[in-house]
Amino acid sequence: MKRNKPLALVAGAALITLAACGGGNGDDTEGTGTGTDKKFGAQEGGTKDETLQGPAEELEGATEGGTVTVYVAGDPGPNSLDPTDGWSVLGNSIQQALTHRSLTQYKRGEDGQPVLVPDLAVDLGQPNEDYTEWTFTIRDDATWEDGKPVTAEEVAWGIQRSLDAETFPAGPGAEYSKGYFAGGADYAGPYTDKGKAYDAISFDGQDVTIKMEKPFPDMDYWGAFMAMGPAPLGKASQPPNYGTDPLSNGPYKIEKWTPSEELILTKNDQWIAESDPARHQYVDEWIFKFDQDQAKVDQIMLSGNSDSQTAIATSIGSDKYEQANSELGERLVQQTSQCVSTLTPDYSKITDINVRKALAYAYPYQDVWLAGGEVPGVTRVPANSIMPPGMAGKVEDFQPDGEQITYNPEKAKELLAEAGEEGYQITMIFYEVDPLAVAVQKQITKGFESAGFKVKAIPVQVSPYDIWLNPDDKVNKTLNLRGVNWCSDWPAGSTMLPPLLSSDGVYNTAGFNEEAIDQEMEDIAAMPLEDQADAWGALDAKIMEEYFPIIPTAFRNDLFVFGEKIGNPSGDAALGAPNYKDFYVMQ
Amino acid sequence: MSQPTAPEALGSLTDETPIDPNSKKAKAITGRSPMQIALGRLLRDKIAVICAIVILFFIIVAVFAPLINKMLGVNTDTVFPSQYLDMLGGGMPLEGPPNNGFDPDHPFGIAPQTADDNLAYWVEGCRTSLTIAALATLFASVLGIVIGLLAGFLGGMVDKVLSFFIDLFLTVPFLLAALTLAPILNERFNTADSYVTIQKFSLIGVLAVFGWMGMARLIRGEVLSLREREFVQAARVLGMPTSRVLIKELMPNLAAPIIISVSLMLPAFVAAEAGLAFLGIGVTSGASWGQTIAKAVKYFEQYSLYLWEPLIGVVLLVLSLNLLGDAIRDALDPKTRR
Amino acid sequence: MFAYIVKRLISGFLVVTLVSMAVFALFWYGPSSPAKPICDREQGVRCIPERLVAYEKSLGYDNPIYTEYGKFVKGIFVGREIAFRTDVYQCDAPCLGLSYNTKQPVTHELVSRLPATISVAVGGAFLYLLLGVPIGVAAARRRGSVADKALVSSFLFLSSIPYYLFALLTWLYLTVLWEAPVVSDVGYFSPFSDGPLKWFGGLFLAWVALGIFGCTQYTRYTRGAMVEALSEDYIRTAKAKGLPARTVVYRHGLRAALVPVVTIFGIDFGSLLAGTIFTERIFEIQGIGYWSLQAVGNKDLPVVAATTLFSAVMLIFSNLIVDVVYSFLDPRVRLS
Repeated sequence: MKRNKPLALVAGAALITLAACGGGNGDDTEGTGTGTDKKFGAQEGGTKDETLQGPAEELEGATEGGTVTVYVAGDPGPNSLDPTDGWSVLGNSIQQALTHRSLTQYKRGEDGQPVLVPDLAVDLGQPNEDYTEWTFTIRDDATWEDGKPVTAEEVAWGIQRSLDAETFPAGPGAEYSKGYFAGGADYAGPYTDKGKAYDAISFDGQDVTIKMEKPFPDMDYWGAFMAMGPAPLGKASQPPNYGTDPLSNGPYKIEKWTPSEELILTKNDQWIAESDPARHQYVDEWIFKFDQDQAKVDQIMLSGNSDSQTAIATSIGSDKYEQANSELGERLVQQTSQCVSTLTPDYSKITDINVRKALAYAYPYQDVWLAGGEVPGVTRVPANSIMPPGMAGKVEDFQPDGEQITYNPEKAKELLAEAGEEGYQITMIFYEVDPLAVAVQKQITKGFESAGFKVKAIPVQVSPYDIWLNPDDKVNKTLNLRGVNWCSDWPAGSTMLPPLLSSDGVYNTAGFNEEAIDQEMEDIAAMPLEDQADAWGALDAKIMEEYFPIIPTAFRNDLFVFGEKIGNPSGDAALGAPNYKDFYVMQ
Repeated sequence: MSQPTAPEALGSLTDETPIDPNSKKAKAITGRSPMQIALGRLLRDKIAVICAIVILFFIIVAVFAPLINKMLGVNTDTVFPSQYLDMLGGGMPLEGPPNNGFDPDHPFGIAPQTADDNLAYWVEGCRTSLTIAALATLFASVLGIVIGLLAGFLGGMVDKVLSFFIDLFLTVPFLLAALTLAPILNERFNTADSYVTIQKFSLIGVLAVFGWMGMARLIRGEVLSLREREFVQAARVLGMPTSRVLIKELMPNLAAPIIISVSLMLPAFVAAEAGLAFLGIGVTSGASWGQTIAKAVKYFEQYSLYLWEPLIGVVLLVLSLNLLGDAIRDALDPKTRR
Repeated sequence: MFAYIVKRLISGFLVVTLVSMAVFALFWYGPSSPAKPICDREQGVRCIPERLVAYEKSLGYDNPIYTEYGKFVKGIFVGREIAFRTDVYQCDAPCLGLSYNTKQPVTHELVSRLPATISVAVGGAFLYLLLGVPIGVAAARRRGSVADKALVSSFLFLSSIPYYLFALLTWLYLTVLWEAPVVSDVGYFSPFSDGPLKWFGGLFLAWVALGIFGCTQYTRYTRGAMVEALSEDYIRTAKAKGLPARTVVYRHGLRAALVPVVTIFGIDFGSLLAGTIFTERIFEIQGIGYWSLQAVGNKDLPVVAATTLFSAVMLIFSNLIVDVVYSFLDPRVRLS
């Protein structure tokens, strides 16, 4: 899932995300600061509860009414509200929680773990023996905002729309529906392949059945995307118009949307609480304000004035962290987002593992975070491998080089000497438009140079990904060090390792190419479901230990600020966003 | 077409000079030997002398920047911020301002977030500022003089076309044009080794291309009146080639308007350079006062010194240049009294 | 007179055409494809070359530049349809294109942001005159006194500071540090839906910054013009007739002195309407200037083109109007 926020482009830019549970623990954040230390809940990956039924449990002390304003700094928000087209942390976290239902959903469980629970389906779906066919039974009491019931046919239609990668280029369907559904790769979708029959998705009574091209045990997770939800039949959901005012079926409906500026949601009185196991409808009105200035948002949130009391901010400036931490206490919430930032040495150019390890020791982690406006140990924590902490199967205490790799230029020099590559030339790019990226690059250059590398850093005016992902780019051909930031779409290693490290992985900016590893990834996908998590974890550790093809530089966390009248301030670990489903305004 | 004087025009980049070159006053100056008189008047003006000293100080700082930094024991090298900043206590410096007293190693303190030495960056920023302003003034002046001379002297169609272009450039909003052009120019050259220098020159280019019109108009007006004068007529009748008439006969009489124009351009370019950097374009690699100001705004409450340092640099330099320019204009015009 | 206006209109039109061509060409021949920003915006990292080509095709960037420029011009007069890949949007005349960011017609957004810019311009310009002219007149009447000298030198000092730093400091102290009541909630609020007080409070600091800074120029002009006017023969005659000093100064002197001031004022007002980037950026006013700054940052090319054109048109018109008005005010000027 992508993050639009330009700041995220800094040290290698977070773009693809959806989240899952995750968590480091408070150990990293101990410090001498005057405020309370923030703790993350330790989280287990992949909890499910297929029996949970609506209505959602009442929250203690919750009251109805009030308007909540959410300030989103530096992110213009979604381009389109069409559920099929949404694949950004920000847009999905809002729509999935408040306006658009899908087959399954996440609920914030005890200790903040996300639990996969049913949504429009009565359970988490019934797969056949080898996960090549899934059947979801749609509940009969879910309704649209106009009061009409949500039918199985509409769900099937909504899912079929997700195959139209041409019409919904930004949607996740291009990745998953087309990749896994039977014949998905050849079917261009209902709008582009007008009139062509597609029979992998069928409905019968209340049942929706999807046939798969290959085993897809994670279909229940994929069902938690709003793209796997219903759409009104025929013209009513015609893009692009539907994207400006889609029909809601969650507890809130869209009152007004001004792209890049504002989204206003009001109560949907047709939503039936009994039909929904995880959503609440306490708040009367939501106002999302996009593309705000961080400094201004911080000013509002820390002022404590009446505007700020019922407000939420999705981020805070690093310069205000200390103040916020000491003044706000529980109202400053730290949420892990299942993302890893990496440096990717070109596997075909930097062939010696010792040089790659030397790079890892030459990278000044703390200084890069500081210069990049992060709070070390809070919004960025040291990483040990590719799979984020808390993901099912992850070997938590694993260290590729015995202990946590930290900045150690002496060690890097030794490794370089061992490889016989003193003065190794590194060529990389940085995003010059952002002053933070410039500051970060200066730190990286200094770190590498103190460790005996030579560095050529090329300033670029476009997103570094434009260059890294374009094999024909003239600059890209000269690079031997790139980067990528990656977030999981659900808590399984299959959404982390293959995209980054299989030889045909889309975001394999390292160009890592080992047949044995490719084979192993395929083998794991064919394993029984219960064994997969551990196998992915073991592979994650094995790759790092034997090949060290990627230098994981950080796992990332987000900070949310809540006004003093917002009840139940908490984060949604599944999406790395505020937990919109469970807020209320204290009266 | 007249020009805006509104503050948004970035100082007086496109300002008309208060003196009308066609007036009797201007002619009166050229009639005598103006430069010595003007200089004498200038030296008696206390404010002008003080401003000149201040400007001289900035020029010395700019010219000897590396040497000065060496003498003061500071440098613009990247350092690791984790060693100098209170990472968990809000990222403010561990030593020196704002929370502790004077730090002799870093007399101006160090920057939050990157721990760069403020003094070294200030000195280098001064250099950037003056280099860019001086070179932009040079190029804009040459461009303005050439176009003004051609338009005024040749007249007819050439004058019409050139005047149209002067109007055209005055119509393009300078800030927007600079904002749009600078990134495009930067991208063209981003792989070059001398990127930092090229970036500065592309900024100088943008400033010069949108800064020559005032000079051109002034010169054109002056030439229009000069070319009807007897000595020019005589030279032409004698068959002197046009280029010679322009350079030998006209140029010496244009010294006053050129000096006036330059005195307006310099402070405007200093202000423009810092203003563009403040908006996030212009010099992005390397030191610039405007860039530091933009970074320092959000720390104003905790660390106001960080903002004041570059801000005072810009204000003092622009102020002195403006006041000195004003004094020069007064000195060249015997009629004004302040 | 009429012929003069027509001539000026033609030359103004020519200037606007050239500016629009220049802007158009700039994007076209810029380093990356003009469709790249919209592709990035919609596709993020998935903007692969094939998809970029699809965008270029739908937006017409594969056609020759003059064809597309023709379409652009035609759109201004009769409207047109614009496609982002498979999505087709209707853009009614006067169509300046669709914003890459919001996919709304640029014209609509321009109109919706006009009130903010007009509010800034009217308030700022009002203060120019309200402060500048009386102070200038007063200084001229007491010419040579200590007060006059102090005023002239302090205003000279003030106007020598770069404007944006003056505005920045105003904002930092009043809003951030002292959190002054009412006025520290800066920004543009609709006087109708948010109430006039909020509107006034949000813009007050911007007006003050613009007004104080701008009025220094007007004081100088007014003072200079007044000094000159008061030394004219007809003033001496009026005085000799025994008219009260007040009448002489305001009826006879000021009237003549105001002519050049009005001229400058017209042009200033035009450039304020063209967008006040620094003021709007610093005081967070969502007007044309801030919009253009953001558009440059987002590479929202149609918006950049539109704001540039809008500014040019504003400047040309204000100049034209000023020249015409000037000819009425001062019969000595003959337009030809």
